[in-house]
Amino acid sequence: MRRVLLRRGSRLVAVATAASLLALAALGSASAAIQPGGITDEARKMHDLFIIVLIFALVVFALVGGALVYALIRYRRRDDELPPQFHGGTRIEVLMVGIPAIITIALFVISMITLVDIDDDADPDDLTIEVTGFQFSWQFAYNLNDLGLNSDPNAEGTLAIIGTPSAEPVLVMPVDEAVEFVLVSNDVIHSFYVRDFLYKLDLIPGRQNDFTVTARETGDYRAQCAELCGLNHSLMRFTLRVVERAEFDAWIAEQAAKQRGDDAPLSVQAP
Amino acid sequence: MAAHGAAERQGLSNPMLGFILFLSSEVMFFGGLFAAYFIARADAVSWPPEELLTPQQIADGVKLELEILLPAIATGILVLSSLTMQWAVWQIQKGNQAGLLWGLFISLALGLIFLTAQMYDYSQLHFRADDTIFGTTFYTLTGFHGAHVAGGALFMFVVLVRSLGGQFTAKNHEAVEACSMYWHFVDVVWIALFTILYIIQ
Amino acid sequence: MASVAIPQLSGYRRPAVLDWIMTVDHKKLGILYLYFTLFFFAVGGILALLVRTQLSVADSTFVGNDAYNQIFTMHASAMLFLFIIPVWAGFGNYFVPLQIGAADMAFPRINALSFWLLPPAGILMFSGFLVDGGSANAGWTAYSPLAQQAGVGMDMWIVAVFMLGASSTIGAANFLVTMFRMRAPGMTMFRMPIFCWTMLVTALLQLLATPVLAAALAMLFIDRNYGGSFFDPNGGGNVVLWQNVFWFYSHPAVYIMILPGMGIVSEILPVFSRKPLFGYKAFVFATIAIGALGFSVWAHHMFTTGSVLLPFFGFMTFMIGIPTGVKIFNWLGTLWGGSISFTTPMLFALGFVSMFLIGGINGTFSAAVPVDFALHDTYFVVAHIHYVLFGGSVFAVFAGLYYWFPKIWGRMLDERLGRLHFTFMFIGFNLAFFPMHMLGLDGMPRRIAVYSEDAGWETLNMISTLGAFTIAVSMIPFLIAVVWAFMRPQDQPDNPWEGNTLEWATSSPPPEHNFDSLPPVRSERPLFDARQNGDGH
Repeated sequence: MRRVLLRRGSRLVAVATAASLLALAALGSASAAIQPGGITDEARKMHDLFIIVLIFALVVFALVGGALVYALIRYRRRDDELPPQFHGGTRIEVLMVGIPAIITIALFVISMITLVDIDDDADPDDLTIEVTGFQFSWQFAYNLNDLGLNSDPNAEGTLAIIGTPSAEPVLVMPVDEAVEFVLVSNDVIHSFYVRDFLYKLDLIPGRQNDFTVTARETGDYRAQCAELCGLNHSLMRFTLRVVERAEFDAWIAEQAAKQRGDDAPLSVQAP
Repeated sequence: MAAHGAAERQGLSNPMLGFILFLSSEVMFFGGLFAAYFIARADAVSWPPEELLTPQQIADGVKLELEILLPAIATGILVLSSLTMQWAVWQIQKGNQAGLLWGLFISLALGLIFLTAQMYDYSQLHFRADDTIFGTTFYTLTGFHGAHVAGGALFMFVVLVRSLGGQFTAKNHEAVEACSMYWHFVDVVWIALFTILYIIQ
Repeated sequence: MASVAIPQLSGYRRPAVLDWIMTVDHKKLGILYLYFTLFFFAVGGILALLVRTQLSVADSTFVGNDAYNQIFTMHASAMLFLFIIPVWAGFGNYFVPLQIGAADMAFPRINALSFWLLPPAGILMFSGFLVDGGSANAGWTAYSPLAQQAGVGMDMWIVAVFMLGASSTIGAANFLVTMFRMRAPGMTMFRMPIFCWTMLVTALLQLLATPVLAAALAMLFIDRNYGGSFFDPNGGGNVVLWQNVFWFYSHPAVYIMILPGMGIVSEILPVFSRKPLFGYKAFVFATIAIGALGFSVWAHHMFTTGSVLLPFFGFMTFMIGIPTGVKIFNWLGTLWGGSISFTTPMLFALGFVSMFLIGGINGTFSAAVPVDFALHDTYFVVAHIHYVLFGGSVFAVFAGLYYWFPKIWGRMLDERLGRLHFTFMFIGFNLAFFPMHMLGLDGMPRRIAVYSEDAGWETLNMISTLGAFTIAVSMIPFLIAVVWAFMRPQDQPDNPWEGNTLEWATSSPPPEHNFDSLPPVRSERPLFDARQNGDGH
């Protein structure tokens, strides 16, 4: 009687487990739609890599998970007979090492190709935005003679946009141009994370980090500090605003106009 | 029934094997500290990093300097104490109780002299642990080493007292071997420290 | 093997409390470890429920930001340092000597010291909640310079972790000497039970990696309290140095947290498939490879610092996937062609295999460096961590508890309650943690106390919270089963599961000296061989 109960109960559990695994697989496939495609050239390459890894992942999961579920159903205990006692086999064991080796090396090589591909060096002429992270918001500084296209080499001064946790700043940048971000921090480690860049880089006291991207879509994108930095870490957000070059120039001109006649860097609360 | 085969076994006994494993963990501890030192020096623009001193520190007379003579003498003393400790081990292996006692006593005395010399050296230095990474790494490395010497000296003292009580024989003197091994370890760490902190400037 | 007559002191018996406090018997110490660690599993679990409650809705004000930072820091610290690492010492203490046919560990008194370091450390760490400024609050990873800003609760955390590390390190030396030196006659290294092998490699990792954490903690303490400049760029120090030294330990630490669990699963799967572990030697070499490679990948936690040799660490991280993959095949191969019974320990072991499979797969995403740039410090990583640590290690803990409960206590845990426990825990676990993959991909960062409504994360977070509470509910049948078992007499046979290893060759529970006699050891399954030769067991 006990064994029958055992079988019935365990069948239910097996079904529940198998169903959960299948549901997971389905959800997993759905996640392909969930990583944003990215708005920069670099992000799109990283997203492609993500998709490749995802395909590998789903295939491995389906094959191994499927074999597991199959084995549990096919080989469940029906009688008291001992099954064949095999300990292993050289051929299978070579495959056991070989197959993971091939998969991991392939993924590594592909990931390195992507890594090299996205490593874009900035041209000295490109717009450079210096990002300073502090507890608990951001400062974005634009050197008025280093604005990329249409830069006036004789312009003087720095435009600084400073935010607060309750007035999150907006980082404005032009579309279709390479833009270099220089990241510094004076207090603790922060991390510059724009979801739609599919990228983040840390702001580390005593160190200057930088990266360059070319955005391809205009719009407002959410961004947030991604390294625990203290009490109001969750409030250290900003908006990344990608605009056409003309609009960017106009915005700069508007901010700089407030500065005319005064040498000190202008601090402006984000609109 | 699995036997505790220590008595019948040739070579390392269980406690000795355990002690050696413990020593390997101590090596890793100092390794971590040394790694921090190497990274600090690799990062540094100059060494000692005088340019990092604040005006207040300079006004207070902070000087990032090490003088080598006293530590060199202390090194010699510590190396000598390792030799006498090893000699003590050889003596008890032959059953020579008097030799063991003398060896332990001299090694302990030399070890205490080393510690005294270190403390005197500390008092003569013109910088503290909060005076740049130079001060921090110097005091951390030599401080933890000194603590290990003190621990070793305590171990040695206990072994000395047990020897006075006649507890060791030619066949049975594991604690003496372990103490000696620990002392050599502490000595080797010091030689590495001395070379790296003082000589490679 | 001759039996040795053990002289018995007549008359005096220590009062029970003193007996437990003064014991040097590996079995009692193992039980003490299990009580201690399961207590902190509950504590860590309650802290998790607080986290999940806070995150269940947007713009939540359930706890304030400062409290939240302390809560998740202590959740992780309790789970990692006070539960998952020492729980293996608990199982190991009880079963390594039994599985190798020894009468105790190599150094029983040092064994006691290893355990008794834990309660003061736990108390010290949690006393941080009572001091000004609260407990440690910079994450269990305590990154500089943030860790320098915390109050004295951080210093208490540092000292507590140091003590836990010391317990770990000396315990490791004990396990190593025990396994190298005290195996039963006939038990060569390659006939040692696989659980012992995983404990051996774990012990090596603990011995060699933990001291580096000790060095890191010393440096942090000096920077915080003596004006040191290890991590202060103004004094010539290097902020990222902390991460390097910390992760040099903490990456091997994650293998410390999983390997013995893999060992337990590798004991259970063969027993309930009625065939040997497939590829025992390959499994041993894979374990050793994971241990060795584990020292070479630490900077994969630091890909976004801009100061890491990305190709090297990316490569080594992928490499560690190979021995891990081998193990999955070992387990599949064990099940294949077997005769499988779905007892509660087997259910948890199978849960381990399937959930660890997912945890290994989602780790692969982070191993691909450019993908990690997006995923690092988001909830995707939280998903990975929990699939391997909960879906992996915690399932293995319960597998071990259900499997070995009859040996330790002489009573079985009720199978129906066990199945209920498993079902709720499996479902709750996946509900809690699978949505985190999506949240991470959608950009939800880790360690944020609050998120706004316009982020669109509320639904998935609510599902996750429901899952967390389901896990909590799943503990109820387990607790009932334990209490119910203790109410029954100690009447279980030596070997209720038809196990193959030596711990089943003695009574349940074993006598103080463990064995009256041992069967011959000619393979890694001495009791199976004995049964085949018609010798009882």
